[in-house]
Amino acid sequence: MNMNTRTYQKGEIPGVIAIQASECKGCDACKRHCPTGAITGMFGATHSIDVDLCLSCGQCLVNCPFGAPYETSDAVDTVIAKLGDKSVTVVGIIAPAVRVAIGEEFGMPVGSLVTGKLYGAMKKAGIEIFDNNFTADLTIMEEGSEFILRARHAVFGEKSENGEPIGPLPQFTSCCPAWVRFVETQCPSLIPHLSSAKSPQQMAGAVAKTYGAKVWGKTAEKIYTVGIMPCTAKKFEASRPEFKSAFEYQKHIAKTNGESYPDVDVVLTTRDLARLFKKMKIDLAKEQDYTPEILFAEYSGAGTIFGNTGGVMEAAVRTAYAVITGGELANIEFKPVRGLKGVKSASVTLKDSQYNKEVTLNLAVVHGIARNLKPVIDQVLAGTSPYHFIEVMNCPAGCINGGGQPIQQTGSSWIDAVRPWFAWK
Amino acid sequence: MHSENMILKHPLSVRIFHYLLVISFLPLALTGLILFFKPFSEGAMNLTMRIHIAAGILLTLDALSFFMIGYKRVVLFLSRVFSVSGNDFKWFAVLGGYPQKLLLHKKIPVPPMGKYNSGQKLFGVCVFIGGVILIFTGLALWAFPHNLPRGTVALMGHLHTIAAWALTLFLCVHVFLGIYMFDDFKAMFLHGRIPYDEAKEMAPLWVEKEIVVINKK
Amino acid sequence: MSDQDYQYIENPLHVTRREFMTITGIVAAFLALPAIWIRSLASSNNDYINARTKNLYQDDIQSKIRVSHANKSVARYYTEFGGKPLSHLSEELLHTKYINRTKALS
Repeated sequence: MNMNTRTYQKGEIPGVIAIQASECKGCDACKRHCPTGAITGMFGATHSIDVDLCLSCGQCLVNCPFGAPYETSDAVDTVIAKLGDKSVTVVGIIAPAVRVAIGEEFGMPVGSLVTGKLYGAMKKAGIEIFDNNFTADLTIMEEGSEFILRARHAVFGEKSENGEPIGPLPQFTSCCPAWVRFVETQCPSLIPHLSSAKSPQQMAGAVAKTYGAKVWGKTAEKIYTVGIMPCTAKKFEASRPEFKSAFEYQKHIAKTNGESYPDVDVVLTTRDLARLFKKMKIDLAKEQDYTPEILFAEYSGAGTIFGNTGGVMEAAVRTAYAVITGGELANIEFKPVRGLKGVKSASVTLKDSQYNKEVTLNLAVVHGIARNLKPVIDQVLAGTSPYHFIEVMNCPAGCINGGGQPIQQTGSSWIDAVRPWFAWK
Repeated sequence: MHSENMILKHPLSVRIFHYLLVISFLPLALTGLILFFKPFSEGAMNLTMRIHIAAGILLTLDALSFFMIGYKRVVLFLSRVFSVSGNDFKWFAVLGGYPQKLLLHKKIPVPPMGKYNSGQKLFGVCVFIGGVILIFTGLALWAFPHNLPRGTVALMGHLHTIAAWALTLFLCVHVFLGIYMFDDFKAMFLHGRIPYDEAKEMAPLWVEKEIVVINKK
Repeated sequence: MSDQDYQYIENPLHVTRREFMTITGIVAAFLALPAIWIRSLASSNNDYINARTKNLYQDDIQSKIRVSHANKSVARYYTEFGGKPLSHLSEELLHTKYINRTKALS
């Protein structure tokens, strides 16, 4: 890990992923999955990661046939220790993609939907359940409202209520921390296009330590938030020093003056959580389905599909349509944004009930940015993009195939026909 | 050599095939060992890999073209090395008499052999099967490691390593004995001929059943 | 290498047409079978992805509520605490600013 990094703020984890030289064969498979060319080392020589270019997305890790990349930060024992501390409420923020993958670590068929068992296992471990699908719905409300404001501003000249400046179109989603870091390190001129909404994980952390503190009747300092994510970049995201909004809020409201705490204390990947359960002798496959009563576990179908490429867009369309037109979509399954095509586009024509005019929204969905992103952002940079709202997910197929997911030996992230690559350099 | 009768053991096509095999497999084995132990710096490892790939391509082309141009020789070779009899087990029981010859300078009786003795047949089987595995897995590891299921690529890596080590180690025996039997060395590397009497002693079954006099003008 | 340099040769091998076809068939099989195997592996490359994707959409299908604006708990969050989307409290807790990392930091 470089000590002299140039693209990390103080407090951020530099180098979530590193490569073990002893395992690396120099076969270059990882380089073909890396979105930023962050892997250095000639063909045939051992490779290493340039952390200033690395997005911590983990695609190299899940795809290396020899298991050479590994995670440098492991919070399993820390969380187990916290679970043993009776004065602390450990809150587990579970991403949508976790529920269709964690069963694989316990011998269940690939892709099994195990929400109930996951809840049961968390309860057994003593983890308070905070479903990130709830926050996904919250994200849609915030980001959807933001998009509608930007669109109405662009088309009808609408102003924001508090006089704040309104961002430009196209609007990019901002829930993928690898994508956000991509923008920040590779094309910062696109920053105004990013939605100002936090990712669901970060919203969850902030809500848990403010509103959640009220709901659970705990003090914010005694709430320990654990992001449980299919994603290694979320470890980086949680460490961003600006993400202590709950502390700032509590300081302001309650005039508390203690040490600051982050909105999300640590992140466990799906693999990490499986290891935690195993260390605590919890067999998820044998758990009975459990339905928690807490409001933080209520989610809509729109929230749960966030884990798939196109899911955020589809969820946004379902709500934006309702808000703009005043009615519900006839067919809420918005199929044009589904599937594994690298760039998907769709148009929605609807009548804006507030302005009584018809508008057409052009939407795009990009995933697997290593191979699919460039033409889309080139258009935006040139000012010729036909789109108004673009969902970007770093990982091929979206978060369900994230860098933190259980490793499937039967596949790889390469989505496409067979394509030989005759490495030389 | 004028008074001795000679048998043409290795025609030109076979010798050319073998030359190409030598100049491709030796660099492959050496660079393969380097890639396995990774002792060098980045630039040197990259050069090693390039040599490995280039030699691998040469080996593959050599094998394919020999199959097409000299397929009769290939068929003969394969039918010979894949035939097993009781004599082969008896031959291995005394290791063909080689340890006794080399270490004790003693000659012991050995079961009668064909063109290839039992050890050579085993080597031939290993080279054929090992070679196919190395070429096939080598191509997959070079051009498709990102594309195939990662468990499959890992398996191919293991097969490649095992076949490579087996062939490289067995090769040492082959090179040693190939030079020790100097008449055979000259046959394969120079003119293709071995003395009739030598053949009658080392490969009596071959001489009995498969050698014919050629008509002279 | 003139003819008088050797007096004996191996019995030349005669391959009949049938034998030739058999051998060609075996070789073709030898080359084709691995290629077919690789093809089938590569095409099943994304099966695990498709399984997870499909089951997540299934979670949507079996949800009682399928649109975010109908989530009663989210509505409760807003009425009891957050106010409404893009409110001042939302800006504080749920929105953020980004950093141009191309200017050297750290």
